[in-house]
Amino acid sequence: MMRALRPRVADGLGAAAPFVFALAIGAVVLFAAGFEPLSVYRLMIEEGFGGERRIAATLTASTPLLLTGLAAAIAFRSGVFNVGAEGCFYLGGLTAAVIGFSAPSWPSALVLGAGLGAAALIGGLWLLGPGLLRARLGVDEVVTTLMLNFIAVGITSWLVNGPLLARGSANSATPAIALNATLPRLLPPTTLHLGFAISLALVIAYGVWGRFTVGGFRSRLVGTNPRFARAVGIEPERVLVATMVVSGAVGGLAGAIHALGLVHRFVGGFSPGYGFTGIAIALLARNSALGVIVASILFGALSSAGASIQLFSNVPIEIVQILQGAVMVFATAKLGRLWRRAG
Amino acid sequence: MTPAPAVAVRIGARALTRRYGALVANDAIDLSVAPGTIHSIVGGNGAGKSTLMRILQGVDFPDAGTVVLNDEPVRLSGPADAFARGVGMVHQEFMLAPPLSLLENLILAREPVGAAGLIDWRKAEEEAGNLAALAGAAIDWRLKAADAPIHVRQILEILRLLYRGADVLILDEPTAVLAPAQIVELLKLMGKLRDEGRTILFISHKLDEVMKCSDAITVMRAGRVVARTTASDTNVDALARAMVGDHAPALLIESRERPSGTPLFSARALAARDPLGFERLGPVDLDIRAGEIVGVAAVGGNGQDELVACAAGILAPAAGSIRLGGEDLAGASTARFRAAGVGYVSADRAHEGLCLTASLADNFIAGRERDTAFSRLGFLRPANIRAAAARGLAGLSVRYGSVDDPASSLSGGNQQRLAIARELSRAPRLLVVSQPTRGVDIAGTAFIHNLIADFRDRGGAVLLVSESLDELLALSDRILCLFNGRISGELSRSEAGVETVGRLMLGRRAAA
Amino acid sequence: MIDAFLHAAIVMTTPILLAAIGGLVNRIGGIVNIGLESMMLGGALIAVMVSAQTGSAGLAILAALVTGAVLGLLMSLVITRLSANEIIVGLGFSVATAGLVRFFLKSVYGVSGTYNPAGVAMLPPIDIPALHAAPVLGAIVSGQDALTWLAWALVPATAFALRRTRWGLRLRATGAAEATVRAVGLAPLTIRDASTVFAGALAGLAGAHLSIGVVGLFNEGISGGRGFIALAAFYFGRSSPWRTALGALLFGGFDAAQIRLQGHWIPAELLQALPYAIVIAVLTGLGLADRRAERSGRMG
Repeated sequence: MMRALRPRVADGLGAAAPFVFALAIGAVVLFAAGFEPLSVYRLMIEEGFGGERRIAATLTASTPLLLTGLAAAIAFRSGVFNVGAEGCFYLGGLTAAVIGFSAPSWPSALVLGAGLGAAALIGGLWLLGPGLLRARLGVDEVVTTLMLNFIAVGITSWLVNGPLLARGSANSATPAIALNATLPRLLPPTTLHLGFAISLALVIAYGVWGRFTVGGFRSRLVGTNPRFARAVGIEPERVLVATMVVSGAVGGLAGAIHALGLVHRFVGGFSPGYGFTGIAIALLARNSALGVIVASILFGALSSAGASIQLFSNVPIEIVQILQGAVMVFATAKLGRLWRRAG
Repeated sequence: MTPAPAVAVRIGARALTRRYGALVANDAIDLSVAPGTIHSIVGGNGAGKSTLMRILQGVDFPDAGTVVLNDEPVRLSGPADAFARGVGMVHQEFMLAPPLSLLENLILAREPVGAAGLIDWRKAEEEAGNLAALAGAAIDWRLKAADAPIHVRQILEILRLLYRGADVLILDEPTAVLAPAQIVELLKLMGKLRDEGRTILFISHKLDEVMKCSDAITVMRAGRVVARTTASDTNVDALARAMVGDHAPALLIESRERPSGTPLFSARALAARDPLGFERLGPVDLDIRAGEIVGVAAVGGNGQDELVACAAGILAPAAGSIRLGGEDLAGASTARFRAAGVGYVSADRAHEGLCLTASLADNFIAGRERDTAFSRLGFLRPANIRAAAARGLAGLSVRYGSVDDPASSLSGGNQQRLAIARELSRAPRLLVVSQPTRGVDIAGTAFIHNLIADFRDRGGAVLLVSESLDELLALSDRILCLFNGRISGELSRSEAGVETVGRLMLGRRAAA
Repeated sequence: MIDAFLHAAIVMTTPILLAAIGGLVNRIGGIVNIGLESMMLGGALIAVMVSAQTGSAGLAILAALVTGAVLGLLMSLVITRLSANEIIVGLGFSVATAGLVRFFLKSVYGVSGTYNPAGVAMLPPIDIPALHAAPVLGAIVSGQDALTWLAWALVPATAFALRRTRWGLRLRATGAAEATVRAVGLAPLTIRDASTVFAGALAGLAGAHLSIGVVGLFNEGISGGRGFIALAAFYFGRSSPWRTALGALLFGGFDAAQIRLQGHWIPAELLQALPYAIVIAVLTGLGLADRRAERSGRMG
C-alpha cells in the first residue's frame, strides 16, 4: 500500500512545483513593487479559503475552470492537443445566453436543458472541423484550434455588437437572460450556483469513464500509443474525432454554465482566458480527474482572492495574471533538471 | 594519410568495466586495435558490443578501467572530445537531416566559407566530388537525404566522418540494411580506407563478412572478451562456437508436407505505397493455405514491410485484392481484418506490438475489451481481465511481478512472448509475423519458434517476414523472395538454401 | 483615398512582418513561437519609456530590441533546457507579460491601461522627395519609417541567409534533425535559443513600431493580437520569407481596411478574424495536396 502510494506522492509534489515557482516569481515582482510578498500571499490564502463565503466565491470562480480543464484533459488523454476550448467557451456562452433571453415562458428545466444542450452541440460542431482535418489530412490541430479561438471571438463580438446587442446597452452585451434560464444558486447569498455541482459531477464522471469503461481504455491506448491501438483494431482516427467533438462540447457547456449561472448574459470579453487556463490545469493534473479538481480550485482561489486583495491592500489585481501565466510557463517544465545541472 | 609510426594501439580499452545495476555489460574488457587495420568485434545480442562502442565514442563512461588512445589511457569527456581525437562513429540509425541535400548534410558544422562569411558551394562540391571518387560511388549531391537510397545515405555517413577528419571509424552493424552486392562494395571501401592508413572498428554478427574483411577479430560474449584471433587463424564455425558458447545452434523446426486445398489467404495484384507515396510493393500474387508457414525473404526496403502492413490490414493497398477464407477484405478497416481472423505480430515491439506504458493485463486484452468476458455495458471487468492475462502469461514461462505492472518491466524477449501470446489468444486463422525474434536471445527465439510452429500444426496459416535467413530457413514451409516489390522467386523448404535465397533476394535467377 | 489606404496598409504591415520574420526563423529552428505577442507588448512599453526619458527614438528602438530579445531568451530557455511544451509556455508568457505590464503601469506610474508621457520622440518618417509626388508608389515608399524599411530589407536578407550562410544551414538542420546536429558536434539547443532571441528582438521592434512609430503612446491593447496575426503570416508563408511577407502584407491590408471601412461592407470583427480563417484554409489546401500526392503516387 505504501509502495503504491509513494509514486503518487511524488507525482503530487511534481505537480505542485510549478505553483511554487510561480509564487517565487510573483514574490520577486511584489517585492520589487514595494509590497511584502509573504503578507500578500497570506492575505490571498485568507481571501481564497477563509470562511464559508470566501470558499463559495472560490468554488464559483473555479466552476468554468473545472470544465475548460476537463475539455483539455479529455483531448490530451487521447493524444489530441486541442487548444480550442476558449473559442467553444465564447460560442457556448453566446448560444446559451440567446436561448436564455428568448424563451421566458418556457419551463425552467426545458430552457436550461435547451441552453446547455445547444451550447454543447455548437462547441462540439465547432471542433469537428479540426478533428476531421487532423484525422483525414494530418493537419496540425494545435494551429487550427488556436486559430479557431480568434475566429470564435470575432464572430461572437460581431454578433454582440450588432444583431444581438441589447437595446439601450452602450456596447457589447446581449439582453439579460430570463429568470427561468438562470441556474439556481446553491448557497444564497453567495454566487455559488448549480453549475458548480454539474461541473464537478462531470469531472468525476470523466474519472470513472477513464478508469472503468471501454471508451476510457481505448482513449488511453490511442493517447499513449496510436500505432499499437491501430494494430489491435482500435481506429485512432475515430477516437480522435470523437474526442475532439466531446472536448468541444464540454468547452461549449463551460461557456453556457458561465452565462446561465454567473454572468446572466453574454458580454464582450466573456472569458478572461478560461480556455487557456484549462490547458494549464489539464497539464498540471496530467489529465487525472482529481488533479483537474484540485488545480481548478487553486486557480479559482487565485482569481477570487485577487479581486479582494486589490480592494484591501492596493496590490494591483494583475498579480493574479502574473501568477497564472507563470504557472502555465512552468506547467510542463521538467524542473528537476535545474537541480541535476547544479548538482 | 600516414599512420603515426610509433603507436601500437590506435584505440582500445584496458580492464574496462561498465555496470548497469546488477548487469555487468562490460566486464574487464581489454582491446587493442592497431592503426591501419580493420578490427572486427563480433558477438550475439547482449554481448556488450554496443556498450563498449558507446564508451569508446565518449557517449557512455566506464565504471572502472580506461579507454586507450594512441597507447595512452584517456578519459573522454564526451563525443566531441572523442571526435577531436579522431574517433567517429556511424550509428545504426543514420544521423542525417532528411530535408537537407546530401551536400548540405556532408558539410554541416564544417562548411567551407568564402568571402563575406558565405558558404562556398563550389568548394563544397569539389571536396564532395573528391570524397565520392574515393568511395568509388556516383552520388547526386543535390538529392535530399530523405530521397536518397539507403546505401547512399550510409556511404554519406562514412564520407562525412572522413570529411570531418576522423581516422578511426566505428561502424555499428553497417551491413544490416544493405543488399549483398552493396555489402561487397562497402567491404571494398573499408579495405581502401584501411590501406590509406585509417583504422576501422567493424561491429557485426555476420561471420562471413567478418572473415572476408578483418585483420583482427575480437569475440565478445556476455560482457567479456572470449576470443582474440585473426581471420587467417580461424573459421566461421570456430567463431560461431566462441560467440554462442556451449549453446546448441538454433533448432530446425520440422517442415510439413505442402497442404493442398483452397488457400485461406489470397492476394491478387496487390500493390502498396509507403507513407511518402512511393510505390514499394507489387503487383504481387500470394496464397497461404491453412497449416502452412510462408516465409518472405528480402533485403530491407524491398516491399516486405508494405506486404506485412497490407496483410495485417494496417495499410490500405494502392491496388489489388485481399481475401481471407473467401471474405473480400479490400479497403476494410484493421478491425475487420482482425474480426475476419488475422493476427499480427509487429516488428516494432515498442510502438506497435505492445503499449509499453500500459499494464501486462491491458496489453493482453487490448483489442478485445468489447468482448463480454472483459466488459459489460461499456464497463470493464478488471477481475476477468487480470485472470485472463494471468492464465495467458502462465503458459509463456515469463517471469513477472504482477499483471498490473507495465509491459516495459519485461525484458525484450519476454515482451515479444507477450505480444505473440496476445495474438494467439484471439485464435486467429492467419498470423502475420514480422521479425519475431529481433533482439531476442537464443532460448527466447526457440520458444517463439515453437509457438509459431505449434500454431501452424494446429491448422493456422502464417506469413513470416524476417531479416534472418536462418530463421526463415528454420521455420518456413515455403519461401518467397521479394525484390523491388515483386516476387523474384519461390522455393520449397527442400529447395531453399542460403545461397539460392540470397541470389533471388537480389533479383537474380536461382542457380540451376 | 487609395494612396492613403496603401500607405496605411504598409504601416500596418510593418509590425506583422517584423514579428512574422522572427517567428519564421524561430520555426525553422524548431520552435513555434506563441509568445510573440508578449515580446511585442514588452517592446512597445519599453520604447515609449525610453523615448520619453531620453528623447531619442534610436535608443528607444534599441531598448525595445533588447527587451524582446531578453523575453525571447527566457521563453526559449524554459522550452529548450527544461523541455517544456512550447505552446503552453508561449500562452503562459502572453498571459504573464500582459499582467506584468499592467501591474507595472499601476504600481510605478499609477495609470491603468494607458501610458502617455510627455516628450515621446517618434520615429521620423523618411521622405523621399523624388518619389513623394509619384502616384501610388509615392504613398507606398515615401514617408515610411526606418523599421518599415528594415522589415522589408529583412525579407530578402533572411531568404539569402537561410540558403547561403552557415548559420542558415545549421538552423535548418536544427529544426529538421536535432540529433544529427548534435552528432556532428554542434549545440542544437543553443542554435534554437539564438533563433528565439532573434524572434524576440524582431517582435520587440514590432512593438516599438506600434508605440513610437504609429501612435506615440502605450496602451495595454496596443499589440491587438498582432503577435498571433504574425503567427498566421508565417504559417501562411510556410518556410519561405517571401510568402510570409505576402501574408503579412495581406493581413496588414486587412488591418488598414478595417480602420477605414469602420464597419461598413464587412464588420470589423469579422475582418479581424479573416487572417486566421485564411491560415486554416491554407493548411487544409496543403493537407489535401499531400493526400492527393499520396493517393496518386510518386515515381519510386
